[in-house]
Amino acid sequence: MSGDRVGIIGIGQSAFRSRRDDASYPDLVREAVVLAMADAKLDFDAIEAIVYSLSPDAMVGIGNAERLGVDAVGGRNKRFLRINTGGSTGISSVAAAYYHVASGACDVVLTAGADKVGECGDSQTVLNKIWDPTYERALPLGTINMLAMSAVRYMRNYGMTQEDMARVVVKNRRHASLNPNAHLRKVVTLDDVMESRLISWPIKLMDCCPQSSGGAAMVLASEQFIRDNHLDAVWITGLAHRAETYWMGDRMGNNPTAEHADAYALRRSFEKSYKMAGITEPPKQVHVAELYAPFSNTEFHAIDAAALCPPGQSVPMMRDGMFELGGWIPVNTSGGTLCTNAIAVTAMARVAETALQVWGRAGAYQVEGARVGIASGNGGDHQIFGTMVIEA
Amino acid sequence: MELLGRQEVWNITYDHALGETASYFFTQIRDNAKIFGRRSAKNGHVLVPPRAFSDETLLPTTEWVEVGPGGRIEAFTMVYERFNNLPDPPYAFGYVLLDGADTALGGYFKGVDLKDPDAAARQLAIGTRVITKFAAERKGDPLDFWYELA
Amino acid sequence: MPLKRQPAVIGCAIRPAIRGRDRSLEEIMHDTAMMALADAGISIEDIDGIVVASNDQFDGRAISVMMASSALGGVDRDILSTPSASEHAFVLGALRVASGQYRTQLVVAWSPTEVSSMSEAQRLGADPYYHRSLPLDELSAHALQAAAVEHRVPGAREMALAVAAKNRAHGAAAYPVSPVPGPFRWPVAAAMTSVPVTGAVGVVLADADFAAERGVADPAWLRGMGWATEASFLGDRDLSTAPALREAARQAFEAAGVAASAIDVAEITDATPYTELLAYEALGLASREEWAARLTDGAFARGGRVPVNLSGGVLTHNPVFCTGLIRIAEIAQQVRGRAGKHQRHGARLGLAHAGSGFAMQYQAAVILGRDARA
Repeated sequence: MSGDRVGIIGIGQSAFRSRRDDASYPDLVREAVVLAMADAKLDFDAIEAIVYSLSPDAMVGIGNAERLGVDAVGGRNKRFLRINTGGSTGISSVAAAYYHVASGACDVVLTAGADKVGECGDSQTVLNKIWDPTYERALPLGTINMLAMSAVRYMRNYGMTQEDMARVVVKNRRHASLNPNAHLRKVVTLDDVMESRLISWPIKLMDCCPQSSGGAAMVLASEQFIRDNHLDAVWITGLAHRAETYWMGDRMGNNPTAEHADAYALRRSFEKSYKMAGITEPPKQVHVAELYAPFSNTEFHAIDAAALCPPGQSVPMMRDGMFELGGWIPVNTSGGTLCTNAIAVTAMARVAETALQVWGRAGAYQVEGARVGIASGNGGDHQIFGTMVIEA
Repeated sequence: MELLGRQEVWNITYDHALGETASYFFTQIRDNAKIFGRRSAKNGHVLVPPRAFSDETLLPTTEWVEVGPGGRIEAFTMVYERFNNLPDPPYAFGYVLLDGADTALGGYFKGVDLKDPDAAARQLAIGTRVITKFAAERKGDPLDFWYELA
Repeated sequence: MPLKRQPAVIGCAIRPAIRGRDRSLEEIMHDTAMMALADAGISIEDIDGIVVASNDQFDGRAISVMMASSALGGVDRDILSTPSASEHAFVLGALRVASGQYRTQLVVAWSPTEVSSMSEAQRLGADPYYHRSLPLDELSAHALQAAAVEHRVPGAREMALAVAAKNRAHGAAAYPVSPVPGPFRWPVAAAMTSVPVTGAVGVVLADADFAAERGVADPAWLRGMGWATEASFLGDRDLSTAPALREAARQAFEAAGVAASAIDVAEITDATPYTELLAYEALGLASREEWAARLTDGAFARGGRVPVNLSGGVLTHNPVFCTGLIRIAEIAQQVRGRAGKHQRHGARLGLAHAGSGFAMQYQAAVILGRDARA
């Protein structure tokens, strides 16, 4: 309802790269925060609370690393807490910041974080530790092979091929070439992707996200504050989180509630976000989407789950160019997670990029006339999903 | 301007209590080379690996049910890339719906020629029948068993 | 800033010392959630959202919310995690209810002792740039703070021992436990702390409409909540003071519209007795000039004007990560009249102090009342 909304008034993102040897972890956070504060045209004094975005500590190599980030976000003597929902941390942090404002507790809230995945040594080793020590840690599970198994089932259920997966890479790399903040910006061909080395069948090297380093930050404010201070803003009109079973084996077998090929809880999360935003026909009402998809195959089930098309239809529609810039509903115009993945803030970047689109500030990759955008983030073993609707 | 770095290693040891349910599962594997699931109270589904309660209803599971050793492949992948602290590639693993179970149990697939990925993928296609194999000497942990094509 | 809707605590499960190895960590989480729901008289179907908190390094899981989600009702539900502190899960849960977009929240935190060395796990929290090679675990940080207090306040050690004796006596009366004294870390005597134990805690929050519909007889109303953080580096702080707690208390008392003198009962996170002394001051209960007098006249003891730590505090039970949320839950039980053997009779307005991290880097103050407003 008008008068009571929560708006985004500032955005800051690093130019993401593999390594940032010139900056410590808190330096990267600071870098993004300074950009966001400048964008919001506010002094640090105006910030009443900080929500710190940080996924596994082990990735950064510092236990409770958010404590180190307190000064980077100007947090001394201020309200401060940290969120960790795995890969969805960034969007969960924006959501937590939203509740700080929507509750009436604060007028202006900063959310920020950074990651240095490239310094980690091996992110898959850390990510193996997300599985339970009881039954599954002994298996060589990692996020890549977990989602390779999703690809295997999606292929069986909907006929997706490796070429279809490669098409997503080609599309997103072309988008990323227009985004100065993206990590992997080199345009590639279908053949380049198909010839890249096999990691975990059917996922090849180029089907995978990079290990990126960099920070992101956003400033949220109450509608009252925005009006009183004559600020420019875009609005979070819908948001929701949903989780599905942690057990991957339960997403298979007999009549699973959640199917591992699909993204059940993502669909449920979007249903709730859409309802809150008053979106009843997503294919007609959504103009642009930033859907968290760290591997090419996962962009399909994300599009399906966002109800932009019936399940599995995203595959032929991708072939027809419906989701590229200039197409019907452009998906991941920033290049998406596939081209930039600083885990602690990747899902925040999805929100940021959607906001930039509906704000008309997406520069070379602007979607003409975009006013309603959606963003999503995935966390855990493809288990926790945050979604948002952002409007001009 | 010289930029320095510093190496740090995280090496922490844990002694996790498995609890009664998982302990039963692993002692059955260790002592009897048998796999058990637990029945869900509400819909009667046999959950494998077993848990003390269903995560959908939060109700306690009701009884032990022996499952397998035969089953069908529900998901698989073959890994060809080397990752620190994970096994040397190539290897195949995935999830199997054991006979009598309603949910799938993870494990390695052994005895499949992985040289040609596409051929291996055909061999491991969803629906393929497999049999659970047990190590001669078992410790009571997930590596005591694996799957081979039936 | 007034919250849009007023949350209340309608159920608690306080499990400050869990023994035995018959339940796995996830089963412990599950049991705790079930107990909290039972205390609230509701089922998981009534829960709109969940916030959990734990320390991944203590748990041995890189993203602890994952398995937690399947253990305590996260399936097909909204679950978030605040691993910074257990009290932060309460804060976020309360904000969600206050927004009017959630009628209820289940908040759960836990602290296992499965790691071979808690000290080693905590030391990973020191930054690798300047401090990792120091033996800087939480006890060391508390010890540095204790030393700073002793330096500024003559007689602080005797006062600290008196605080410890008070809490020990309270603990013995409240729970049938014999905590194991912690290691000596100068100037913190072994008698001033106890070794970590496994614990868990769950709290159910609801809004006024839900509480009314369900006929909840004894909600503990949130009258004020404040939270703040100190600087990152210990060396940047004056450890003989607690400015972040002062700020958190200011937020809480301002929201509640009362002064510290209105408080009937308090729970303070006594990571060491020196922490409790500093909290007396920052919360407005007693300035450092008054500490000695208050400890002598028994104002903070059982039967005194504002009993502090009738639960026995952290000295009695030290499930490290949960100690903050447990203080909040203890105060909820006090104003609900459900504190059993350690009930402060007639408690109407309680104050919970939750602190976490190196030398209490994170500070929170929560005021709960039997009445919705003054």
